Amino acid sequence: MKRLFLALGFLALFLALFLMEKGAYAQDEITIGVIYPLTGGAASAGRELQMGAELAMEIANGKMPELAMDMAKEAGIKSMGGKKIKLIFKDHEGNPTLGADLAKKLILDDKVVGILGCYHSSVTKAVSAVCEQYGVPMINDSSTSPVLTRQGYKWFWRTTPHDGTFTMDLFEFLKGLSEGKAKGVKPVPKEELMNLAAACEKTEWGSAASQLLEDYAKKYGYNLKRNLLYTAKSADLSSEVRSLLAVNPDAMLFASYTSDAILMVKTLKAQKAKPKLIWGQNAGFDTPEFRSTLGEDIVGILTRTVFSPKLGEVKTISTQINELYKKKAGYDLSDASSRGFTGVQTWFHVLEKAGSTKPEDIQRAANSIEIPGEQLVVPWKGIKFATSGEEPGQNIMGSGIIGQYQKNKEGQVVLEIVYPFELSTANLIYPFPGY
Amino acid sequence: MASEVLLQAIVAGLLFGMVLSVVALGLTIIFGVMDIVNFAHGEFLMIGMYTGLLVSQYTGADPLFALPVAAVIGGLLGYLCYWLFVRLLLRGPMLAQLLGTFGLMLFLRNLALLLFGSEDRSIQKGILVGKSVVIFGSCVVPSTKLGAAVLAVLAFLGTYLFIEKTKIGKALQATAINPHAARFMGISTDRMNALAWVIGGAGVTVAGGLLVNFWAVNPYVGLLFTMLAFTIVALGGFGSVPGAFFAGLIVGIITEFPGIWDAISLWTGWNWMYKVPMISFKYTWVYLAYFLIMLITPKGLFGWKR
Repeated sequence: MKRLFLALGFLALFLALFLMEKGAYAQDEITIGVIYPLTGGAASAGRELQMGAELAMEIANGKMPELAMDMAKEAGIKSMGGKKIKLIFKDHEGNPTLGADLAKKLILDDKVVGILGCYHSSVTKAVSAVCEQYGVPMINDSSTSPVLTRQGYKWFWRTTPHDGTFTMDLFEFLKGLSEGKAKGVKPVPKEELMNLAAACEKTEWGSAASQLLEDYAKKYGYNLKRNLLYTAKSADLSSEVRSLLAVNPDAMLFASYTSDAILMVKTLKAQKAKPKLIWGQNAGFDTPEFRSTLGEDIVGILTRTVFSPKLGEVKTISTQINELYKKKAGYDLSDASSRGFTGVQTWFHVLEKAGSTKPEDIQRAANSIEIPGEQLVVPWKGIKFATSGEEPGQNIMGSGIIGQYQKNKEGQVVLEIVYPFELSTANLIYPFPGY
Repeated sequence: MASEVLLQAIVAGLLFGMVLSVVALGLTIIFGVMDIVNFAHGEFLMIGMYTGLLVSQYTGADPLFALPVAAVIGGLLGYLCYWLFVRLLLRGPMLAQLLGTFGLMLFLRNLALLLFGSEDRSIQKGILVGKSVVIFGSCVVPSTKLGAAVLAVLAFLGTYLFIEKTKIGKALQATAINPHAARFMGISTDRMNALAWVIGGAGVTVAGGLLVNFWAVNPYVGLLFTMLAFTIVALGGFGSVPGAFFAGLIVGIITEFPGIWDAISLWTGWNWMYKVPMISFKYTWVYLAYFLIMLITPKGLFGWKR
């Protein structure tokens, strides 16, 4: 009998402690569940996203008047009495099923106010469906398959421009190249870049990107001679590369995650590929790991991106945040980290405007916020979500840039901006120097 | 252009096939000697790949110098597997042997997952890594693949000569043909079985050491190669050593079928052929071949064991 009482007593104690902790959560912190690929093939991008998001959280929770950002003015969220934002990070490993499970866990067990993530479009698709089902708001900072905002969801908002915009940028760039708009390059006759070959990884993101390339090539009058899909987890891509080279392409276009992007470039080098242009649809082509592993082998390669440290030359806030990030990570802010940063920043604005954690209030706030471009590290005109039309929840003020890896005077490989042409920070290297 | 593409595909297929035949060698020897199908074969390969990777990473030596280490580890692993595990399985019914090696596969794979994590890892530095040579005028071949293929042929030849020319090799063959009769002749079949596992294990880990020069490794890498090795062994004839070599070459060329398709489409100039996503079904042709072999000639091309 005594033992039973003892056991019951312990149980009660545990329960009390547990409830107290939960209660404490609810009082002065607002929890956001963040689902990123922290291990697996895209782990390096995931870690970048995480560090970017953490930096934004630190700024939002602290007071840094020297930064010209609403989020830096006061500590915490003013409209909720200075409550702090707390991010709970989860790792989806690039697996949509795992992502959906984690979302459920975050919603049901951790009682998060909202979700942020998830990089892989396939995972974002699964997670956004879960959020829609539970009526929990989700902001997507880093997935670019156009499909995601075309599902008519009411609880999904996307800050980043999608691949439709980025693919159009590519073809505008090619068009501009033939019109002589590119800095430091004479007009390149269109026939010289007529034949294209593309390889995209075959999950949601890559296959949508592949379809867009097909559509836009037709629209702009280019000949996409080969458009193949491959598995991002491939250990060997030599037959894929040979298949691309078989059509003798002028430009080679890729949509790859990290490990496959590195393997792709290595294989291109081993096969002595010499197209006039190589372009990557961001992701793997724009990670620190890609740069550090391949070194000078990437000089001349183009990638679409939303951030380059070179942006600082035209934007002060980008330099300021980049300095803070450098202190934290040891290297420059990148595409992924700047998007993670912007994701949390958007959450801050939404919560500040909502003034409560009720889903309906958050929904109303998300549909009406407008973050001016001056406060963003990325080169967008701002953040404002579409509330009607074909793509509800899509940021309508986003835009992309195309960067090219070039060697600077100190011998480092940096990403110079080459498109939009008016933002160019260096002369375009054309044609691709080859190996 | 069409002929260049065709040449590239065939050369690439043959080189890959040479490495594949060493992958399949161990499987066919073990089956030949003791009628056991080793499902964990691909996992042995994975261990060979990690050995190559880790030895070169920690000692800074070229991954090719890791081959002897891989051979020793593979041989030891084969021996231990036989002595501690398979020998006991032999007492049970056929099903026990199947499930036993299957369990071994799961165990090794998850052990690797625990030790090395699920991330892809590949070799970045080495004498051959990142270089390529041009042969036959226009055919670009990565040095890693050429080197691996040459060493694979040497390893294969060595094993073949050992089995054909030495006394121990003959004893091994005798055990394979008729264990009872072999025992009457004073051959310790138990030791011969163990030897088969040692050769099998060492062969496949050496193949792993060769493969890791151009193929990223993760704990799941074994599955694909187990499947490829099964196809090779079925095609070459279960238990046939020369069969494994030629079947390896054939399977290597089958994996390059998309390249051959490209060559044909360039040659004919038919537009629809460009649009067929052959590359997405790279390994499908291998499995289709396996299916057809089983249907038409279950004994394989060089089959000698019933």
